[in-house]
Amino acid sequence: MYAVETQNLVKRYGKTYALKGLDFTVDPEEIMVLLGPNGSGKTTLLLTLAKVLKPTSGTAKVMGIDVIKQPTQVRHILGISFQDARGFWRHKPAEILEFHAAMCGIAKAQSKPLIEEVLKDLELWDARNKLFMHLSGGQAKRVEVAKLLIQRPKFAIFDEPSSQVDLRGKRTIWEHILKLREKGSTILVATNEVREAEYLADRVTILDQGKSIICDTVRNLKDKITGGDIVELELEQAENDPSIEEDLGKILGTVKIMPVEKNKYKAYVSIGEAWVPKMTSLCYEKDVLVRSVRVTEPSLDDVFLSFTGRKLETEANA
Amino acid sequence: MHDIIRLVWFDLKQELKPPVWIMLQWLTFTVQLFIYGAIISQLVLATKIANYQEFYAVGFIVMMTFEVGSHTGRHFVEHAHEGLLPYWLSLPISRTKLFLAITLQGGAELALMLGVPLAITLAMIGNLTIVSVTAAIATLFCLGFGVAGLMLGFSFIAFKSSDLYTAVVTGLSTVLIRFSTVLYPLIFLPSGYRPVAQLSPLTYGSDLVRLILGFDPSIMTYDPIIAVAVLVALAVSTLGLGMFLLQRLVEGVKSG
Repeated sequence: MYAVETQNLVKRYGKTYALKGLDFTVDPEEIMVLLGPNGSGKTTLLLTLAKVLKPTSGTAKVMGIDVIKQPTQVRHILGISFQDARGFWRHKPAEILEFHAAMCGIAKAQSKPLIEEVLKDLELWDARNKLFMHLSGGQAKRVEVAKLLIQRPKFAIFDEPSSQVDLRGKRTIWEHILKLREKGSTILVATNEVREAEYLADRVTILDQGKSIICDTVRNLKDKITGGDIVELELEQAENDPSIEEDLGKILGTVKIMPVEKNKYKAYVSIGEAWVPKMTSLCYEKDVLVRSVRVTEPSLDDVFLSFTGRKLETEANA
Repeated sequence: MHDIIRLVWFDLKQELKPPVWIMLQWLTFTVQLFIYGAIISQLVLATKIANYQEFYAVGFIVMMTFEVGSHTGRHFVEHAHEGLLPYWLSLPISRTKLFLAITLQGGAELALMLGVPLAITLAMIGNLTIVSVTAAIATLFCLGFGVAGLMLGFSFIAFKSSDLYTAVVTGLSTVLIRFSTVLYPLIFLPSGYRPVAQLSPLTYGSDLVRLILGFDPSIMTYDPIIAVAVLVALAVSTLGLGMFLLQRLVEGVKSG
């Protein structure tokens, strides 16, 4: 049984489709990352699973429970950390978390030490009695994430969990999300931040314009790009052999060879680890010295570009 | 039940930190009653109204009831736009409990807002029994729930346009208060206004409260039993409409 399963899920706002017949699954106790630019349908999918939005058509199940037919049961096993932490203006972080724990049925004796631990871990302890409206954007976001770390739901949904948070804070949040999975939660994270996806994901689903483009592990996604690995190469005495560029281009897995400057080349290859030994053998045969080799693997942004033809991390998304 | 009380208190305590809004309402009432009410009562000489200041006090309380009821709808809209509503919707409670919490919070706000003004009015009128005081409070709550249900129903307009919602509520309050017996008995209204005033729910509320508090029964527009039936029907139907809309519409709208 899948932890989450949607079939032909459609959400429409007037004439605009946010989800266009989405088929999507998440395995139990895995971290699935939804990657896509703004407007790709990530948040709509999360809100639909959390029963904040009603789908226009199609089915969705969480832990085998139908989201549309048994909404209250679904809400008992899931928790959601929203993209924008808003609406609590005149409450304090500590009381927001106490309230959330109580609403999720966690006894006070159990929640009190847990709240203290999470507030300290997320560096919110000193701000615990400040009014929410006086918190910085990053602090407010951490309060939003803290709700789920205390709730520890069977199915946890994080919408851009580290947006507005500084680098150290991001790392702390990611570590906590990984720990949550270790404790048995299934986790769905929506993000347009490549590093976040690479750090957290067991599998990544790329969403674009309300549809799932592809779903796989990060490694497999990168390997699926033709010419995704870039090998930066510096050779010595290559000028003595004018055919070297052509010969490099004939190595299996080469997509393109670009001379950068004298004796320096950039090779776009399918799998760098397989290409480099073949290249060194060729250079040895041709008596050309390899001065330096640098292999760069593609980012998930390159993966997104390869499958959609558009960049993921635009200035608007950053 | 614990969940409902917890939700009501979590939201309500924001209003009490500090209770500026509530105290301002009390101050407004006091100033209106003891300055405007006292002066205007010197000018109003009517055989069927022994003391217009008392008549005005009851009318003002009915207006406050209407305002608190409207505030419940507005509050719901604010929650939707500020992002708190999605959080409420994601909590592990049923939509019925959520609706009850919203309604009860309106009731609690009404009790807080009206507590002092009602005490002042009752002290001014005097000669009251526990039964009459209880009946007057019950009537006001019934009216308050009716208005709150009506405004919650209208609040769904605000998901499309909050400006339109404000315009509708402002227009509605202007019509319902002015074309009613809140500030003057029906017999003093120009004949053209009377049919409209007879339809206003505030007419039923204010007439019934005044009758219960010992005002001249001849100023009643309708038989008290009809007034009670209309107010109960208003509360039940509008709250039912609000609950229906919450269950059917709120998950479908794009808000926040």
